[in-house]
This record gives sequence, structure tokens and C-alpha cells, in this order.
Amino acid sequence: MSDAEDRFFEELAEIDPEAFSGPAPARLKASIYSALIRRQAESGPLASLSGTKASGRGLCVFEQLVEISPVSEAAKCFNCCSICHARILAEKIENAPIYWTHCPYVRFQNR
Amino acid sequence: MEAQSLKGSLKLLSKATTTESDLELASAVLRKDRKATAEFVELYADVVYRYVRRRLIPRYDVVDDVVQEVFLAAWDGLATFRAESSLRAWLLSIASHKVQDYYRRRLRDAETLASDEEGDDLPLPTIHRHPEELIDKHRIEEKIRATMTGLPETSSLVLLWRYWEMRSAREIAAAIGRSEKGVERLLARARAQFKKKWNNE
Repeated sequence: MSDAEDRFFEELAEIDPEAFSGPAPARLKASIYSALIRRQAESGPLASLSGTKASGRGLCVFEQLVEISPVSEAAKCFNCCSICHARILAEKIENAPIYWTHCPYVRFQNR
Repeated sequence: MEAQSLKGSLKLLSKATTTESDLELASAVLRKDRKATAEFVELYADVVYRYVRRRLIPRYDVVDDVVQEVFLAAWDGLATFRAESSLRAWLLSIASHKVQDYYRRRLRDAETLASDEEGDDLPLPTIHRHPEELIDKHRIEEKIRATMTGLPETSSLVLLWRYWEMRSAREIAAAIGRSEKGVERLLARARAQFKKKWNNE
């Protein structure tokens, strides 16, 4: 093998490949998020919705309902997304027809 | 001189802000704040995806799985993140490990055939540089992708590992439990196949 041959391949590898692909598919982002939340829940409860709200991060309409419900703090750690149609749509359909404000699956959509 | 010092200060400030916001985001994710976790995915999925996709040409079918593995590994190791580098750089180093894990698995399973040196006598292709370099780059990227797609998986992976991930034949050999000579043969064959396809494209 010649040095020139090595240089040729090194030069190819140096070409800025940013234009190679666009954003990650929204379906993939949705699946990653669901997997992460599941993994987090395996080692104990998620942060409570009240805590999330207090830190200045918005809740979706369903999470708000749970947050204002007269239930225990432990119940407010429930992963509402696990039973939400928005998650299922977002994991299965690119550009899913979901539009709730502060829904994580909506923010993953590439539109 | 003053402008240069201002530029330096701004750079430092921007680095400090990035580190601070990275640490803040990492600690919110560690607290299992679901919205912070969504922000984490939203901020970094694109960059990790692009990196992994480029490194696995043409195996686009496995990209999603590897990207997901990167984020799960990041969650498992997030407590060790100390912001010595940015979260972006930290995630990309995990991605690099995951990509190399994939190369390792595939190449370990692959049959190492003796090099038939096919195409070794072909002239070395040239990368044409024009003033319209951006257009040229795009054209070359397309050509790389097309050429890689036409190669056997073993060949494209070993080239990616050697030149895109910048690992020596010795390092690759150690990772897959083969001799350095064996990897050199694999590389020679892959380069010859690449050249042949590149010249025919």
C-alpha cells in the first residue's frame, strides 16, 4: 500500500459530511425519549409533575390535570405518556398529527 | 489587539455558559425530570443521528438502534458527566464507542478472506477540487455514499473504522481478535474494491 493511497482515503474522510443527512426522524426521537423514561422509571419514580412545573418547564394538558388532582405526590410521578395516544402516534408515524402544547412528542416533530 | 481580546473573552464566556447549561440540563435529567429529558433528546438526537448515520454507511437499517443505544448508555453514565467537555462532545464520544462496538461485532463474525489484490493495479482515483468547493464536496459525499453502498459490508466497515474513525490496523486487529496482517489484508481488499467502484461511478 502506498502513502498516496492512505492519503486519498484520509482526504475522503476529512470531507465535511454535515450535508449528509438532515435531522433525526421524529419517530426515532420519540422512541428514544420513551426508552429513556422507561429506563429512568426502572430505578425509582420520576420527578414529580409539581417539581417539573416549579422548575419552569411546562406541562401538557394531561399532566396538568394530574398535577392539580387531589392525589399523593407519588401519584404525580406517574409517567402519563405511557398511556397517551400522542406517544403511540409519534413512535409510529413521522410527522404525527399531534399538537398539544408542552407535549414532548410534539416538540420532536420536524415541522 | 483589543478586538482579539474581546473575541477571546466572548469565547470563554460562551464556553462557560455552555458548560453551565450542560451541567444544569444533565442534573435535571438525573433528577428524572421528564421535560428535561425531552429537551436532552431534542437538543442532541440530530447530531448523534448524523454522526452514526455517516459512520454506518450504507447500513442505514441499524442506525436507529445504535442511536438509541447511545442515549441509553448516556443515561447510564450521566452521573459521571463532569462537563470537562460539552454534553455534545461527551455524547459523540459515546456514539464513537457504540459505532466501533458495531464494527467489532460485524468484523469478528466476518470471514477474513485472503486478499486477491483485485484492483490493486488500478490508478489511484483523484478528488477533484474546483473553486465551487461546496458543490464539489456535496458531489463527493454522494459518490462516497454510492461507492460504499456497493461494497461488501466487511469492506465498508473496515474502511470506515480505519479512515473515518482513524484507528490503526493494529488497533482494529486487537479489537476483533485477528492478526494485524489479517486486517491489513482486509484493508487492502477493501481499498481495491473501493477504487474499482469509485472509478466506475
